[in-house]
Amino acid sequence: MNFFAPFCIPFIIGAAVMFLTLAGKWATWLWQLPHADKMRILRGLPTRHTLAAIWEVICESLLHRRIFRINPLLGYMHMSLAFGWFLLIAVGWIETVAYLGFRYVPLQAHVFFKYFSTGLAHKPVFDFLMDLLLLFVLSGVALAWFKRLRSRMLGLRRTTKHVWGDRLALSALWFIFPARLVAESTTCALYGGGSFLTGSLGEWLSAHVGLLPLMNLESAAWWFYSSCLGIFFVALPFSRYMHIFTEIPLIFLRHYGLRSGEKESSFDHFQIEACSRCGICIDPCQLQSVLNVHTVQSVYFLRDRRYGMLRRETADDCLMCGRCAERCPVGIDLNTLRLNSRDKIRNLPDERRYGYLTGLDRSSGEGKVGYFAGCMTLLTPRTLQAMERIFEAAGEEVWWADREGGVCCGRPLKLSGETDAARRMMHYNTELFRKHGITTLVTSCPICLKVFREDYDLKGVEILHHSEYILRLIRSGRICPEHAATRFTYHDPCELGRGSGIYDEPRAVIEAIGELLEPASTRENALCCGSSVANTAISDDGQLRIARSVCDELEATGAEVIVTACPLCKKALGRGTKEPVRDLAEIVAESLPRG
Amino acid sequence: MAINFGYTISKPRAINLDRNNLRRSDEILHEMPELQTCIGCGACTAVCTAGNLTEFNFRKVHTLVRRGEYQGAYEEMNKCMLCGKCRLVCPRGINTRGVVLLIKRKLGDL
Amino acid sequence: MKKRIIVIGGGVAGMQTALRLAEQGAAVLLVEKESELGGKLRHWHVLFPSFTPASEVLTELRRRINASDIEVLTGAEAVALAPKSVTLRDGRELACDSVVLCSGFTLFDASIKEEYGYGIYDNVFTSVDLERMFREGRVAKADGTRPRRIAFLHCVGSRDEKVCQQHCSKVCCITGVKQAMEIKRLFPEADVFNFYMDIRMFGPGYEEMYREAQQRYNIHFVRGRISEASPTIDGRVQIKAEDTLTGRPLRMSVDMLILLVGMRSNDDLAALAASAGLDRAPSGFMKPRDLFLDNVRSNVGGIFYAGAVSAPKSIGETLNEGIAAADAAARYAGL
Repeated sequence: MNFFAPFCIPFIIGAAVMFLTLAGKWATWLWQLPHADKMRILRGLPTRHTLAAIWEVICESLLHRRIFRINPLLGYMHMSLAFGWFLLIAVGWIETVAYLGFRYVPLQAHVFFKYFSTGLAHKPVFDFLMDLLLLFVLSGVALAWFKRLRSRMLGLRRTTKHVWGDRLALSALWFIFPARLVAESTTCALYGGGSFLTGSLGEWLSAHVGLLPLMNLESAAWWFYSSCLGIFFVALPFSRYMHIFTEIPLIFLRHYGLRSGEKESSFDHFQIEACSRCGICIDPCQLQSVLNVHTVQSVYFLRDRRYGMLRRETADDCLMCGRCAERCPVGIDLNTLRLNSRDKIRNLPDERRYGYLTGLDRSSGEGKVGYFAGCMTLLTPRTLQAMERIFEAAGEEVWWADREGGVCCGRPLKLSGETDAARRMMHYNTELFRKHGITTLVTSCPICLKVFREDYDLKGVEILHHSEYILRLIRSGRICPEHAATRFTYHDPCELGRGSGIYDEPRAVIEAIGELLEPASTRENALCCGSSVANTAISDDGQLRIARSVCDELEATGAEVIVTACPLCKKALGRGTKEPVRDLAEIVAESLPRG
Repeated sequence: MAINFGYTISKPRAINLDRNNLRRSDEILHEMPELQTCIGCGACTAVCTAGNLTEFNFRKVHTLVRRGEYQGAYEEMNKCMLCGKCRLVCPRGINTRGVVLLIKRKLGDL
Repeated sequence: MKKRIIVIGGGVAGMQTALRLAEQGAAVLLVEKESELGGKLRHWHVLFPSFTPASEVLTELRRRINASDIEVLTGAEAVALAPKSVTLRDGRELACDSVVLCSGFTLFDASIKEEYGYGIYDNVFTSVDLERMFREGRVAKADGTRPRRIAFLHCVGSRDEKVCQQHCSKVCCITGVKQAMEIKRLFPEADVFNFYMDIRMFGPGYEEMYREAQQRYNIHFVRGRISEASPTIDGRVQIKAEDTLTGRPLRMSVDMLILLVGMRSNDDLAALAASAGLDRAPSGFMKPRDLFLDNVRSNVGGIFYAGAVSAPKSIGETLNEGIAAADAAARYAGL
């Protein structure tokens, strides 16, 4: 049996280009991984991590479970295309085996089986199955077309603006399945076979179109189908559709413990090219929704970085609030990638920098508990004063690290990309903490908290945000704030909530004092105050407008007092509302019994 | 070169705007026009975490840069910890951290 | 039938406007939300640049009002207005032939600038607190002792984007000079420091007063904005600033820190403006139709402005504007 026809050439070339490019990319990326990462992969391969990765590939790459959670229709669209196409290939394979037994058949014979199988006796079960699957995929294609017109119906207010390479691949993809339908239907029209879809359309065609035109049409349709596939395959490794084949190794590598860091690494390629540019990250971005900035969202950042056209402005203009990463269906570590891009742009190792830190110590007091107010907290003295009262009420001996002005924790520098300089701050503060022999470190600033926990080497020192510390004092009965009828609402600081996973402690503290009313966007979905230190590009007006939009939500709860647990959020929100904005520590100190 | 940027009250030489080349200063102001709105209140310098620990005067450095006095500005700005207190107090709403990064970028090669 | 004109606000601007309108033969209704006339001036001690007691001005204005046939309605708050009517909080709608809005300004709440410690540390006060102390004849630290070192901070809640008040409140500079001199009169041995950004001495006799404060009273003027205040162990206030003229950080401890609070637009102006379709300036104050030839007229015919409702103004300017607004309103009503 001959399994070749001239129309197969575009497909064969396309598939060859695609598989060679893919193999080249994967090999290069894996080869360039740091040694430690390579070892992680080798050690992880024979463990349960591999099974977990396989399960995740099924759930996410095929079924798109996470997108289903965001919007069922959008999830269905992605699933029908991915899972549907996968099944078409898999069932198609089985079909060939069923027809021909276990023997070698070239790739194009699997793909264009209907064309080559006209001489064989039909197996209606497979005709039906294949038609059903084609319908499944076509429904996804229809939704994709529909999404271009009415994205809101699929839960997206804004969709991604694509580069021309993506548009080419997208157009080819859109035509692949309708082309397949026409091609298979014409073959059915000429030779019979097919089921409710291709069969019915074939019957209709044979009834309405003459034999000669039909034969021409058949030839043209198969050529067109093969060309669409060819174009799509050639474009795939260079377009967003690279995600189809990148998400799979990404999931495996992630299960083996590979992560992106503050310096660019080869693993980043897997994350960057796993982005499907679905655009789910656009809507949660407040720079987009409040400030009408449409060029910096994660999807565009990843795209620009991938094609080597990343501009500094795009890398810098981001609050790194993490709202997009929270929703990313591929789970790409968006903030870290942006951070290491900034590092690439800006970091300059300079050993002489911060020489003035040598020998400095402005701390005061003595105690096993150290309190690091943080630079910003020095501008919110009510918080400082409240912490002092709380420590006093709890009878805590406290070492004050920076009341007279300390050294910055290093996170703002790190977030700006000057990661080596940030290390110098971290080194200084670590030495200072060690020197004073503290066993607990309390801070009022979530920015400091995150860097203490993630980048400092403070083994033996427990690091607590003041919300956690205060809750402990309350639970252990060391302080007894009085419960009253005040209605509070709580603003989750990005670095505390999404950044450090602390959502419940501040809420428990508030509920010990009064009533807690949740704003519309809360916890993992909480809004950013707009003044994040991570954004060095945003204007003052931009910060203010975001703060006002956040305050609108907080005020809508009807609360008397807006509470937050970050000095920066507090300052930012204070500009956006006339309602009182208080730090968690303040409301606790105020509700402690007097005297 | 001695790093003694802008710190003696009576500098030996005048700022000569006939001779100073303001091209880079103009570039900086073009990217960050709001810097021109500085009223010189010194709040940024007063709160400055780095300025609390060493001789670093953000207001003076950027003012001198605006006058075309670039010498040493990069090294001075490198003392900044980028903590952001200055931005929180600036009454003109100047993106002070952006100014630090901008000056370093524009004058890093001097 | 006399023309009826309603004046909203019974402070200096409203009283002066009402008096002038009455002179011109209008039936004037003066609406004041507080229980008595006088507005913010009731809380002031003496006025710059002449140290004239505020009570002197106020007593005379009240006497003239009492002597006139102006109808005064206190405890009444206007919530909506139109050229021919004013609606009060209690729902009453008062008909008239024109309206003059003289509702003044609101003092900036200094506790918003948390870093200055107002409401947190005992010895941080506002210029308004200090006037009250002057009036009560007892200027002292929180513990009752005599202050030996006092610092004034200018521009609190003025020219500050961080509290959304971009405008200059105009009168704080001269108020700071005046209060510093009063302090020196009370405590000649005390050291007084005024921290300023720019000193704006726009009025007659102001510059002379500033010079006198420096030369005769030995008041120190430091150019720099205080950035932070913190408590010392002995209950004083430590302040940090940059002495911008020497380019060096400055720290000092003071017995009292006085914050010269600015003037901001009233919160209820938004609703009033919306009710009548009036334009407001970006600062939130009412926007006159024209800054030169129609500076007491609103963009709506029959509604006029006098005093600090349209921008921060001194008492002298406000009194002048009362007359100008009354004349314009009278002409509109056909008097």
